[in-house]
Amino acid sequence: MNFLKPGKDNTEDRLNFVRYWAEYCRTHTDEDWSRQQNILINAMMHNAKTFPLSPKEYLKLKKEPCNR
Amino acid sequence: MQFVNPNKVLLEREMNELDKLVIDFISILKKHVDYVIISGYVSLLFGRSRTTEDVDVFIKELTDKHLAELYENLTEKGYWCINAEELQTISEYLNSGSAVRFAKINSTIPNFEVKFALKQLDLEAFKDFVVVETRLGQLKISSLERQIAYKRFYLKSPKDTEDAEFIENLFKDKLNKDKINKYKILLKSI
Repeated sequence: MNFLKPGKDNTEDRLNFVRYWAEYCRTHTDEDWSRQQNILINAMMHNAKTFPLSPKEYLKLKKEPCNR
Repeated sequence: MQFVNPNKVLLEREMNELDKLVIDFISILKKHVDYVIISGYVSLLFGRSRTTEDVDVFIKELTDKHLAELYENLTEKGYWCINAEELQTISEYLNSGSAVRFAKINSTIPNFEVKFALKQLDLEAFKDFVVVETRLGQLKISSLERQIAYKRFYLKSPKDTEDAEFIENLFKDKLNKDKINKYKILLKSI
């Protein structure tokens, strides 16, 4: 597997990481990459519970109507 | 993961809290209506290293009676609609082409952004889908080629471009490039 290549700017840097991570997922077991990804996603789930937004607050941010 | 054929993928990933929620929601939804998961969650399911606040789902159009049954079942199982409480308002949103969001009661994130597939191109997602077999059950997602085309040529935000790049690099030798081009042409005409 190739090393992660630094980008010239943020956009290129992000795309390089996306390609690197896709290659990692392609060449490693599902258990391996998912264990790493789960740290990120489970943390988001925890934060959503810890700092809840009301439907009104959330939909205002999304610029969507709320009839609750 | 094992790419069995263009319509089936076996995924041995460890399921996270979001995956478990998706499996739970879909287990209720599919009793009432055909569905297909589209957009960001598809990339996440296959490993993309980002989070999401919503899971986009197309469902086939429902009569008010069948929508009422679905809504009642979701409510029984601990979900609420964060856009509205009244069934009639939810029905009006869906029938006008808007999405409505369902979440676990008293929470808003993550949520399921559910939309009737009313346009021809949206309905085609039901003919061009992939069944992903996970450790906790099956999920039906729109085809990988469709995902790539929508994100790269229609939505085009940095996040969407990165999602498309991820799927392209992950499944590079398995994708039907002609199909991506077909969608690209269709999307440019709308």
